[in-house]
Amino acid sequence: MDDRKPSAFADFVSGACWVALAAAIMIGSWRMDRLEHLQASIYSAPGVVPGLIGAALALMGLVLMLRAWRAGALAGAGRPRIVWSEQARLLIAVALCLAFAIGLVGRGPPFWLAAAIFVAVTVFAFQFPERRAAGTLARGALVAVVYGLVAGYAVHYVFQELFLVRLP
Amino acid sequence: MGMFDGLIMFGHSIASFMTPTAIGYALLASLVGLIIGALPGLTATMGVALMTTMTLTLQPNEAILILICTYVGAIYGGSRSAILLNIPGTPASAASCLDGYALARQGLAGRAMGIATSGSVLGTWIGMFFLATLTPVLGEVALKFGAYEFFWLAVFGVVISGNLTGDDPLKGWIAGFLGLFIATIGQEGLYAHDRFTFGYHDLSGGVALLPALVGAFGFAEVLTVMRDKPRDVVLNSFDTVIPRIRDVLQYWRTIIRSGVIGTGIGIIPGVGEDVAAWSSYAAARRASKEKELFGKGSVEGLMAAETGDNACVPGSVIPVLTLAVPGSAPAAVLLAAMLIHGVQPGPLIMINSPQFVFDVVAMMLIASIGILIYGLTLTNLLVKILQVPQTLVMPVIFVLCVVGSFALASRVFDIYVMLFFGIAGFLLRRLNYPMAPLVLGIVLGDLLDKNLRRGLVLSDGDLTPFFTRPISVVLFLLIAATVLLNIPVFHRAAVSLWKQASAPFRRTTRPDQPTSRRPHD
Repeated sequence: MDDRKPSAFADFVSGACWVALAAAIMIGSWRMDRLEHLQASIYSAPGVVPGLIGAALALMGLVLMLRAWRAGALAGAGRPRIVWSEQARLLIAVALCLAFAIGLVGRGPPFWLAAAIFVAVTVFAFQFPERRAAGTLARGALVAVVYGLVAGYAVHYVFQELFLVRLP
Repeated sequence: MGMFDGLIMFGHSIASFMTPTAIGYALLASLVGLIIGALPGLTATMGVALMTTMTLTLQPNEAILILICTYVGAIYGGSRSAILLNIPGTPASAASCLDGYALARQGLAGRAMGIATSGSVLGTWIGMFFLATLTPVLGEVALKFGAYEFFWLAVFGVVISGNLTGDDPLKGWIAGFLGLFIATIGQEGLYAHDRFTFGYHDLSGGVALLPALVGAFGFAEVLTVMRDKPRDVVLNSFDTVIPRIRDVLQYWRTIIRSGVIGTGIGIIPGVGEDVAAWSSYAAARRASKEKELFGKGSVEGLMAAETGDNACVPGSVIPVLTLAVPGSAPAAVLLAAMLIHGVQPGPLIMINSPQFVFDVVAMMLIASIGILIYGLTLTNLLVKILQVPQTLVMPVIFVLCVVGSFALASRVFDIYVMLFFGIAGFLLRRLNYPMAPLVLGIVLGDLLDKNLRRGLVLSDGDLTPFFTRPISVVLFLLIAATVLLNIPVFHRAAVSLWKQASAPFRRTTRPDQPTSRRPHD
């Protein structure tokens, strides 16, 4: 886990998000059907519990905002600046994972092939800087493809053949 | 039930696992657990969740055996990377890094691994002893639980877990209540009325626990590891890994104390192995004659941390069996797996299926033998595995996350749930929100929802039973104290009250006593 503590500003923003979410939950709970036509007791209405949870979340969100405000969240100090180049690895990882899970799985190719493509592309992408520096891009591509195929088939074999689990 | 009956049932359970298949599964699962635990970025929760998927088609007892061996193996395995790499393989081994790595730097990595092995095995046994003896007792108490008590139990779980699992209780509680809210999505339990589904059919079934867990503990971890540039793996050389009897005999008090603390922390809902390890470590340091060695390669410190976290495993299963409330995040998966396999944990377990309780005790024993075997033999293989670059491991883990979340119900929707919880979990952790209370909230949400409304209907809106029934009032007071002690004004008042009240009993005052709860803050 990351050792760096988030800034007061980040806490203030997350507190505000919780308050907004809690408000939405409370409104949704209030407007929820109270099932009076079923002669249900008002205390067993479906909205009771989410409404109370929403109220508790709102209270805690407000306390968090207050705490962050007192810690100087709005004084401009500690306001984060996102440097996109530092986040490149993260963004590539998210993009590849989403592309695989949403774009590839269950959209035509059998699972082992989809997994093989994903693993190969990801391994190649994340080894790219070192491979390029070392001048072994072609070898890297080959390693990635072979590794991807082995991994894809191994997952298919272990789950589907050995343990009879259905794959997407 | 008498002690003798218990022993006979335990014997039956052991005998029932003495088949080649069961032993084979146990050995394989302990190994898988060990590797999962040793690889940084793969936690016990993730491991047990993946194995749940894999064992869907097996017999219930075989499946649960595999899961428990994986769980015990993973918690033990984390110590390997803590000692050799100074990276905790699972959060449970963070405390082991301090002295384990320091010992390794002195060329004593083998001895450190031996200490970890003996501590983990003995910790599991101490926890196992309490699992066998406390489960029937707690089962009796649980039979007295009505709607009011179950409501407070759910709140208590979220509040105490939020308080202890991170370093910011407020954020822990927010995460816990968020979990409680997530549990309300979908059809509610009394009238099957859709809540917060926005007409989306897939949401009616609610957010399934396992995909959410695989997201929050698997995908989020994959993103965390992939985000950082891989570090060069520098391994320490090591001497023999055979545990020394002297280390055990010399620190037997520490071992028993840590085992008891670990089991106790395990029983508390949603507070898992990491807190158990830190608490045992802190207690050992307080009681130690060689305080100055802690953090610089103390055998006692490493022993305490490793005994504490492994004792927590059987401890966390006690509330699973008696109350259907998980004592830790991996235990939440175990609970889900038991439900999938048709085992009904809860207050009636000692009446309906007492044998199962002793089956679980026997599984713990088998798992501890598994880690003992691998602890003594597999060091070189594990060292090789630790050298595999994470760039190669993480994509495969993500593929397994997809398989794991899909396979349980064959629903593509569950993959999306996993993705959502992975990204949300990653962001929340960056903002210092702990994941354990969130998971516990999702598990306890249904309990809270049904029992609060049931209680209110039974009392016709009267709140008095919530505050007057004996168990209710105890739980309520514990919750109130936990919350109030985190408010500075109340905390100061409580500390000064305590000082005044205890002054006549103290011979000397120690103004330098640390007040922080956890040593690593």
